[in-house]
Amino acid sequence: MHELDLLMSGFATLASNPLALLLALVGVTLGIVIGALPGLTATMGVAILLPFTFGMDPVSGLLMISGVFFGGVYGGSVTAILLRIPGTPAAAATALDGFELTRKGMAGVALGTATLSSFLGGTASIFVLIFMAPILAGFALEFSAPESFALAVFGLSIIASISGRSVIKGLIAGFLGLLIATVGMDPMDGFPRFTGGYTELFNVPFIPVMIGLFAAAEAFKTLEDPKVRLGMAAALGRILPDWPTYRRMLGTVARSSGLGIVIGIIPGAGADIAAYVAYNEAKRFSRTPENYGKGELAGVAACEAGANGCTGGALLTMLTLGIPGDAVTAVMLGALTLQGLQPGPLLLKDHADLVFTLFAGMLFCYVAMLVIGLASLRFMGRVLQMPKSVLTPVILVLCIVGTYAINNSLFDIGVMLAAGVAGYFMQKWDFPASPVVLALIMGPMAEANFRRALSLSSGSYDFLYTRPITVVLLSVAVLTLLLPLVKRWRAHRMESRRPGATSPLHQIK
Amino acid sequence: MKVTNRLSRRALTVGLSAGVLIAGAATLPGAAFAADYPTKPIELIVPYAAGGGTDLVARAFADAAKKHLPQPIGVVNKTGGGGAVGLTEIMAARPDGYKIGMGTVEITLLPHMGVARFTVDDFTPIARLNAEPSAITVKADSPWKTFEEFLDYAKANPGKVRIGNSGTGAIWHLAAEALADKTGTSFNHVPFDGANPAVTSLLGGHIEAVSVSPAEVSSQLAAGQLRMLAIMADQRQKAFPDVPTLKEKGIDLTVATWRGIVVPKKTPAAVVETLRTASKAAAEDQSFRDQLAKMNLTWAYADGPEFGQVMQKDNAFFKGMMTKLGMAK
Repeated sequence: MHELDLLMSGFATLASNPLALLLALVGVTLGIVIGALPGLTATMGVAILLPFTFGMDPVSGLLMISGVFFGGVYGGSVTAILLRIPGTPAAAATALDGFELTRKGMAGVALGTATLSSFLGGTASIFVLIFMAPILAGFALEFSAPESFALAVFGLSIIASISGRSVIKGLIAGFLGLLIATVGMDPMDGFPRFTGGYTELFNVPFIPVMIGLFAAAEAFKTLEDPKVRLGMAAALGRILPDWPTYRRMLGTVARSSGLGIVIGIIPGAGADIAAYVAYNEAKRFSRTPENYGKGELAGVAACEAGANGCTGGALLTMLTLGIPGDAVTAVMLGALTLQGLQPGPLLLKDHADLVFTLFAGMLFCYVAMLVIGLASLRFMGRVLQMPKSVLTPVILVLCIVGTYAINNSLFDIGVMLAAGVAGYFMQKWDFPASPVVLALIMGPMAEANFRRALSLSSGSYDFLYTRPITVVLLSVAVLTLLLPLVKRWRAHRMESRRPGATSPLHQIK
Repeated sequence: MKVTNRLSRRALTVGLSAGVLIAGAATLPGAAFAADYPTKPIELIVPYAAGGGTDLVARAFADAAKKHLPQPIGVVNKTGGGGAVGLTEIMAARPDGYKIGMGTVEITLLPHMGVARFTVDDFTPIARLNAEPSAITVKADSPWKTFEEFLDYAKANPGKVRIGNSGTGAIWHLAAEALADKTGTSFNHVPFDGANPAVTSLLGGHIEAVSVSPAEVSSQLAAGQLRMLAIMADQRQKAFPDVPTLKEKGIDLTVATWRGIVVPKKTPAAVVETLRTASKAAAEDQSFRDQLAKMNLTWAYADGPEFGQVMQKDNAFFKGMMTKLGMAK
């Protein structure tokens, strides 16, 4: 266990560098705050902090940035659970069950479960990064355009399981998202589509749409409710779930962490995809899938373990190949380069001491995140006791400021408010918002990679069935779409075989 | 009547002279304003996201310029539209020198695609800070050891060699198209969402080559996973002295991306002068050069007029190129 020795000496080096530990704590705290605020994502936090790290020693600077990364991925869940305001795209999945739990007065346990699962998923991913990096590095390279396309199709099929009460309404919302996703620069030929001449629309303003659909819509909805407070159980109650409850979720957490790590390794796929996939698989393997979407703790655990599992996976690809898989690691690559560490195959060979000190520090960051997270939950939970006359304006201001911060663009604020109004009516008429977000993430990915795959194969469709990973992912996607239908059909047959019973389909009529 | 007439004439004279005085008073502080420039912080618009290459150059420059300007420069990222949003903002800024911009090679690309409201003539160049040439890079275990072998194979198998670029109409796509045009070969150009995914795809063996800059493949080159066959620059790069230029191979082609400070066209000459002097001092500051070197970026300072020539030359070249490819609108 060569790695173990290196890790131990890494811990020893780290212990003698209290400044680095302090900065890691600062990073994690900042990250949680940034993640919790809508619009401010981990990517932005890392980019803003980057110039401050120029003057620091490599370990301190990089640990602070890692802290922001980890904290930012986790922080989104807090507001998602308490207020249905996902601070990050990944937290939109957490909000599915998290907010339902808050409605039931179980906000405390939901937050505790999210924190614990984030910690477990993240820590597991760092351990994989430490011990299995060289083995897994090659996996990222297997992923070409056909595989990414298949992953995106699989992602789209998840719409079926996050649709809530009505699959039809979920599909309508999903297709709405796909339609919105066609606005912008054509990914292959570079021509603007449906932009109406606005350069601001060349990229789909994805985060403003998400903030509008969730946070602004929720704020608009509270305006029509005459109650002074949100009316959810003000006391948080228990924060840590009791052991038997959490033990039942450990399988889900392990599976979700694994999925998160794998998706993190894949270039171009990040925490948002991981959270949705983990949620979908948790539901698939659950004995009580009907509880999902109505406040299932395991759903929260799955999303958070998946999202944070992504962190180690994304770092693995960036450190071993020198290629960032997503926007956060792209900025982190810059940070490493500035510190004189060139990420890539030589990094682990040439700078093993330093890298393993960093790994030790990353584990410390996750422990810090757990402690800070759990300690601050009671404080954060007070939000629920705030009178609405204060809370609603604050939420709307945060929506606007957060949206503006993304591109410094007033246009985006308009997009966000329009999405907010749309989201309000979607809620009123019971159309789920998550499929829109999911389609906005997956739609462009599916389109670009399908066309890129065709370009790579000179126009041949063979890639659909000759590449193993593609075949597996596409098959899983088809299964995800069809299984609920098959199940319903079988239930329907069972029902109709019972003498005297009318078919459920007829009852609907 | 006579009296009133005279009176009115006097009133007119008085009024006129007062008007002249007021106008003079108004222009005087205006002139002094330009001479005093800058009296408040300067905003530097970066048309790309924080943390990217353009942003890093801008921040390093803003840092170095602190010593050479009485007021600080603040970096503001205005992203979107492949740079079009930020560049439009720079073009449309009030030409008083308080909103300047980081101009990139896209100034000479986007206008021809019909996606921009500006042209190259809407900007006054202040200083080029950085430039990166295009390079042809293949996998280390590929059969092509030299650029000639690569080109011969491409000629023998037209359309078979897949070259990854950072997006259709982006600089590295045009570099590969220009190479095909100059050598009479045809490649299969595969656009990716930026240079990094293209390099990943090359490492995985899904494409045959990339046309991105040396800096974007340097760590894989160092690790022996990739091989750079030729660069599209006038001279060999200091960091890669063994890699020949296309010119050495008898192909007269240089394509490079660049980044530099630009201001809106109508900015007063005095302000432009102040910025040029300060930019020269900041760019030649050792701290700025060190910072660029740390980020694997090539220092390529050029003064305003010289920078302007590069812009005009590139603009004409890419316009011709895109018209030929049918991309121009």
